[in-house]
Amino acid sequence: MTSGTGPIPKISLQNITKKFTVRPSKDNPEGSVLTALDGISLDVSAGEFITLVGPSGSGKTTLLDLLAGLTKPDTGQVLVDGREVSGPGRDRAVVFQQYALFPWRTAAANVSFGLEGAGSDGKRYTRKERAEKAREYLGLVGLGGFEDRYPHELSGGMKQRVAIARSLAYEPDILLMDEPFAALDAQTREQLQTELLRIWATTGKTIIFITHGIDEAVYLGQRVAVLSSRPGRLKEIVDIDLGDRSGDEDVRSNPAFVEHRHKVWSLLHDEVRRAQAAGHAKIQPDGTAPDETRTITTGKAA
Amino acid sequence: MSTPTLTNETETRTGPAAATGEATAQHKTTEQHKTTAQRNPALRPGPGKTPAYRLRLYALQGGKAVWGSGAIILFLLLWELGPTYLAPASTRVFLPPLHVVLEALGTLIANGQLQNHLAASLSRSGSGFGIAVVTAVALGLLVAWYGALDRFLNPLLEVFRNTAALALLPVFTLLLGIGETSKISIVAYAAFFPVLLNTIAGVRTVDPLLIRAARSLGLSNFQLFQKVILPSAVPTIFTGIRMAGTSSILVLIAAEMVGAKAGLGYLIVNSQMSFLIPDMYAGILTVSLLGLLVNYLLVGVERHFSRWRTAVGSRTA
Repeated sequence: MTSGTGPIPKISLQNITKKFTVRPSKDNPEGSVLTALDGISLDVSAGEFITLVGPSGSGKTTLLDLLAGLTKPDTGQVLVDGREVSGPGRDRAVVFQQYALFPWRTAAANVSFGLEGAGSDGKRYTRKERAEKAREYLGLVGLGGFEDRYPHELSGGMKQRVAIARSLAYEPDILLMDEPFAALDAQTREQLQTELLRIWATTGKTIIFITHGIDEAVYLGQRVAVLSSRPGRLKEIVDIDLGDRSGDEDVRSNPAFVEHRHKVWSLLHDEVRRAQAAGHAKIQPDGTAPDETRTITTGKAA
Repeated sequence: MSTPTLTNETETRTGPAAATGEATAQHKTTEQHKTTAQRNPALRPGPGKTPAYRLRLYALQGGKAVWGSGAIILFLLLWELGPTYLAPASTRVFLPPLHVVLEALGTLIANGQLQNHLAASLSRSGSGFGIAVVTAVALGLLVAWYGALDRFLNPLLEVFRNTAALALLPVFTLLLGIGETSKISIVAYAAFFPVLLNTIAGVRTVDPLLIRAARSLGLSNFQLFQKVILPSAVPTIFTGIRMAGTSSILVLIAAEMVGAKAGLGYLIVNSQMSFLIPDMYAGILTVSLLGLLVNYLLVGVERHFSRWRTAVGSRTA
């Protein structure tokens, strides 16, 4: 699946740059500018599953926020269906690493959260319809019968399933996933990866999936986009062809998988080392990064 | 931990030892019972299967209940017997035994006086408390939402908050007279700050991730407030409301003692001055029962609204 061919791509990032102003602090009296993303261009076609890997602080989450419409790029455009993204919308859904479930709502009420009020087409669901949808989507993620449980009564894997069901329930075209399985144990993670592929196959959503794990990226993605260390640039896109992944065989030991994995690993390896040397850490939602003052002093010394 | 030893242990504990024994040890044994029973369904006592087991369980629970109310019972016993047998005759006049106080309470209820005083107190603290809750929640939401308003008002609020409500009682009396207005106002003032501060704290401590999640769904500011911030802040707000409930009664009684023609505070002070000592104690007893009742009710309400917040992580495993 190549990008840019045929009709308008589902998602199109055109030369995106995003900078954050770091507020003056004691160690950094003048304040500074942090370039999170620098000149990112990427097309994603409808129904594609693309994974995004990059070292800490390479702006993966920033990119996802731009796609979700939670922030705006400084230069460049984010297009969905050829139209510029002006804010959050129900054509896109975000799944967060920390589940972000509303603890005062039951699983079913969490799932139907996005169905309350008028939708983008002005459609309103009745209480009964919402409950039905919630049951349907909880069933889809394998949580049938857990409708009345509160989040604190569910395990991490179950919470993330609820979060995925919540994102799917209002039927967005695009699923944006920010390291959704990073907080889960290995076994649950593998299980959810398989289920995500199944859900993707049944629903035909376009999925952008951010991850730290190379295995996860190669296993899930049709393409793996590798970001460089800060400022985040698109280093390379690796096409993944593993044949049919829905079978029961152990894809991860397949020679093609190993080869792809190694390719992504070598691309990422230098970047991770560079990021570590610079001490990059995750960029916070408010645009600050804990390491930023240190980067500046090393920059001056160099 | 095998079952036979456990049974032996419990058997030795039934009888007087269970009633007076240390609460912790009893607690432990019941827990052990529970876990063994849960682990092995065969050990779970069927109805009528092991009546001795159930008897022991009841004995344990009874023992726990006795231990739990022991201090109260001892206190009441001391109140009943102390004045007669321990105190000198001169003190006895000022500290009548419990049954005399209860008789006085009965008389006050029978002639309707207590009800009148209670009604006066309740309507004052109720209206003051109501006014405080409504205004404090509204202001708290505004202050927490608009940072500029917070920076502007916070110093003043700090000054007022740290001024004891009763210190302002003379001011309220001078400005608003000794009628209902001044009393309702001082109750409202005292109840205002716990609610205000907890409302602000509740809104402030909303998980930013939940706000991000809601925003990503395209919620407007108002919807965000209504569906995420408010429900998330409700348990904290109710903690404030419970604290306000307690302080509204405390302050009211004091206010009624200073200047009033009805109310429990008036009853207490007036009885003291008229040398109706049993009536005075009856009033005090009513105040403490009322305080207990109000707190109990508000704790119930608070618990109802924070059900989802309880047992974070304890039931997940």
